[in-house]
Amino acid sequence: MTNNATPAVELRAATRTYGTGERAVTALDRVDARFEPGTFTAVMGPSGSGKSTLLHCGAGLDRLTGGEVIIDGVPVGGLSERALTRLRRSRVGFVFQAFNLVPALTAAQNVALPLRLAGRRPQPGAVAGMLAEVGLTGREGHRPSELSGGQQQRVAIARALVSRPAVLFADEPTGSLDAASGAAVLSLLRAAVDRHRQTIVMVTHDPVAAATADRVLFLADGRVVGELPGSVGAERIALHTARLEGATAVAR
Amino acid sequence: MSAAWAMVRHRFASFAGTFVAVFLGVAVVSGSATLYLSSQPQAPARYDQAPVLVTPPNAETGDTRDQQAWTAAEASALAARLGSLPGVMAAVPDPWFYVQRLEAGRATGDDQAALIDGHPWSAATLGAYRLTDGRAPKAKGEVVIGTDVSATATARGGTAPAAAAAGTTASVAAGSGPRGSAVTAGTTVEVLTATGPETWQVTGTVDGPGFYVTDGEAARRASGVRVIGLTVTGDVQKVVDAAAAEVGSSGVVRSGAERDALEPGSITRVRWIGAQLLIALVSLGAFATVFVVSSTCALSAAQRRRELGLLRAVGATPGQVRRMMYAETSLVALLAGLIGAPAGAAAAPLLGDAMVGIGLEPAGFTVTWQPTALIGSVLLGLFVALAGVTAATRRASRIPPLDALREAAADPRAMTPARWVMGPLCAIAGGALLAGMPTFPLEMRSSAGLGAAMFLLCAAALLSPVLIVPLVRTVARPWRGTATGMLVREGTLTGVRRVASTAAPVLATVGLTVLLAGTVATIEVAAGIDETAKYPAADVLVPDGTPGLSAAAVAAQGAEPALTTRLLITHGDTTTGGYATGRGDGLVLDQFTASELGSKAGDVVTVRFADGARAELPVDAVEEEASIPQDLVRRHDPDALTSMIVLKDTAVPTPGARSVPIRDFVMEEIEEEGRLVDLFLLALIGLTAGYTAIAVGNTLLMATTARRVEFQALRLAGAGTGQVLRVVSGEALLAVSVGAALGGLVAVISLAGVRAAVEDEIGRDIDLVIPWGSTAAVTALCAALALTAAAFPVLRAARGRS
Repeated sequence: MTNNATPAVELRAATRTYGTGERAVTALDRVDARFEPGTFTAVMGPSGSGKSTLLHCGAGLDRLTGGEVIIDGVPVGGLSERALTRLRRSRVGFVFQAFNLVPALTAAQNVALPLRLAGRRPQPGAVAGMLAEVGLTGREGHRPSELSGGQQQRVAIARALVSRPAVLFADEPTGSLDAASGAAVLSLLRAAVDRHRQTIVMVTHDPVAAATADRVLFLADGRVVGELPGSVGAERIALHTARLEGATAVAR
Repeated sequence: MSAAWAMVRHRFASFAGTFVAVFLGVAVVSGSATLYLSSQPQAPARYDQAPVLVTPPNAETGDTRDQQAWTAAEASALAARLGSLPGVMAAVPDPWFYVQRLEAGRATGDDQAALIDGHPWSAATLGAYRLTDGRAPKAKGEVVIGTDVSATATARGGTAPAAAAAGTTASVAAGSGPRGSAVTAGTTVEVLTATGPETWQVTGTVDGPGFYVTDGEAARRASGVRVIGLTVTGDVQKVVDAAAAEVGSSGVVRSGAERDALEPGSITRVRWIGAQLLIALVSLGAFATVFVVSSTCALSAAQRRRELGLLRAVGATPGQVRRMMYAETSLVALLAGLIGAPAGAAAAPLLGDAMVGIGLEPAGFTVTWQPTALIGSVLLGLFVALAGVTAATRRASRIPPLDALREAAADPRAMTPARWVMGPLCAIAGGALLAGMPTFPLEMRSSAGLGAAMFLLCAAALLSPVLIVPLVRTVARPWRGTATGMLVREGTLTGVRRVASTAAPVLATVGLTVLLAGTVATIEVAAGIDETAKYPAADVLVPDGTPGLSAAAVAAQGAEPALTTRLLITHGDTTTGGYATGRGDGLVLDQFTASELGSKAGDVVTVRFADGARAELPVDAVEEEASIPQDLVRRHDPDALTSMIVLKDTAVPTPGARSVPIRDFVMEEIEEEGRLVDLFLLALIGLTAGYTAIAVGNTLLMATTARRVEFQALRLAGAGTGQVLRVVSGEALLAVSVGAALGGLVAVISLAGVRAAVEDEIGRDIDLVIPWGSTAAVTALCAALALTAAAFPVLRAARGRS
């Protein structure tokens, strides 16, 4: 890991509050975080800890109320909606928990969508190659309704990776899958990091999923409260999480 | 973008509403436009051999009934000069006059066409009509008759709107009388003219329509000359130029399409009435399409929030989302238009025949191929659909990408800034139109009323989300204790947009129905009182299949004729036309004409008579009705007829006249007018109701289908299919009631404006008539449709499970 390289995503004193006055909720509270190229980070924390907000803001889906987000060297704050969309299109990929695919389009069309939206014609074989990489050869013409949940998620990963983004954000990608499909999805993500030096930031509450990552960031009450290497294993991660949840429960 | 096509294919259900609305809209527009364009004025066939026609100068009053004439002397002098121009073979004046054949004492044929059926024999050359038998007329009382007269007179009947009544009597006469009494050279023919019944000696027959008498006879009977036809050799344009130079300001030289201005007024009027219906159909069709498309598109965009959010998340710019929605709508609209336009054009001949049958198009009207109508209607459909989708598109493009992650359960904000701006603007525009109504010219008032209603309806639809919450709380109050009641109320209050989408079309239908039917009913009631108020209880002598009463018919009753003539009156720089009755011994103007001219009693005005003669006359008085001394009418309008007389005794039977009690006559007139008005109403309300039916059905179908998950949850919570059905039906009915209430309110406001205008016009209070019957019918129709559309997906889902 080289510290002088541009981080894929960097958050500086990132703050996000919802609502105003007494009802204001601070979801992110001056968070600093760097996600270096080629790393796989899991973000964990009790519900309401701000992990989803971190992901949304880091990905440019949501705007900060204070601080700065820099995606691949570009500060997001001053960008217009259009410029931000373009940045997202070229540098950021997404995989959500569910509802990732446009139901009207086939698997291949869904994968090609970001390229088409960018006005680029996909290279011959690029889409098929991407689908092959996620193990879906022969499913190009299927619509989402004709695919299983795990297959849909793999199409979503193929789509997220097709434009070779600087960073891929995954929001509970295994949240609605059975164990076997979840494991397949995780190994796909791991492979993308190992083989293509893909940067991945994944929000999860599953310690097993988190253990696949290089490092695990723990969030509570909108702040980063800890960090573990993924290699410590699912059990220690689970223990840490449990302690955090206990602490927040007591604090409340 | 190919994604648009994929979306359309995949989500055709949600585009079905747009598709059907555009399909119908384009079909209505292309059919109506085909009819409209087919129904162009045509110069009468009897001028077919006269490529150049010269007419007196235009009256410049803006009313087609005002036509100047040359006096017989002026016309023959001008004809002589024109006849000597190079290239002109003959210049023939055609002074026409009223003549109608009598069969068994009854007038036959179309009464309005009869007004111009008499011609001088020399004018037969303008149509290249030749004798088929016998010889030309040489003396008074001799006539050459056309093929149509000699065969059977009834075949020509039924063109003018009034001919429906006349037509029936004529056919009765033909049925009972000596049908096919072939008239040949050497026999006699019974006719009715402005003077009365006459027996003419038939000296020959001709291969064209009409009655041809000697030139002198025609000039004596006709009220001036309104056309001189030129038959030419060589270059027509040269003749036109030479004639224009010769005629100068004393006439207009017409060739080519300009000749078509000579279509008889009665036929033009029939076309005009038909055109009103067609124009109304087109504008209402376009309005309804925009209305339906915008409401279905708004709903579908709201339902696709997650999908659109996803597109935004994976990199679609707001512009791309907008363009994609436009592309989708264009595709659907184009597809619908390409099917709808030929369908409408194909249906046009059927409608055309029906319109001829009810007197909205002249007899012999044929529908022709009108590519402009087809292309235009497809483009209009596209444009209208895009206009309808604009608001939804703007909104959809602002959907944040994060919405892909949200379960869009609760409704997003129902009132948008655009609604807040456009709603009050529409309300103000509508209110201003209503308020300004009394200042508009009469003929614009009904359009202004309709326009005002459309604005107000739009305003109500735009502002409905604000009004729905309190309305629903009030309406649902009695059922707040029950589970169904609670679910319905809360479901409605959290789904304000959905309710607004459902209520909008109901609002439009009920509103337009109440307004249209109410306006007609209010005016009918006002007119009914008006007409009876004018006459005491007695019988009247009225035309019987004729355009008016002949002098003999009036004289037979021992009464003075009350001839009606049309005058052109000039005072200062203003000229206006108007009817005047032959009575009294000075010129009396009616208030309307007097105010238009800015003249009062004592002023001297220039009066131009029907025969082209002019006179300077002092205005004696300004009264309710215009009149001018009888002898002046007789002298300058020998063809004038009496419209009706009030009888003192029992009527003496006389051809072309019948006596009826005043009340019956008034009722007949009202019914005659009412028949046409009812037809218009039926067409317009039918169209609106049809449209909103689609909209209501589509909206509810879409909404209920999209709420399957919600109903699933309800079922899991222990609700049976019956209960779910009750909730859905309750919501649908609530939405319909809200729409009906708002629509009715808007209509009553507009109606009050219309009434104020009518009161202002007739200077008397009238009752506001609310058409409860049609309102209830239309509301019930909406409710039935809403229930069906809402229940269908629930029942289908229930069957799928069991």
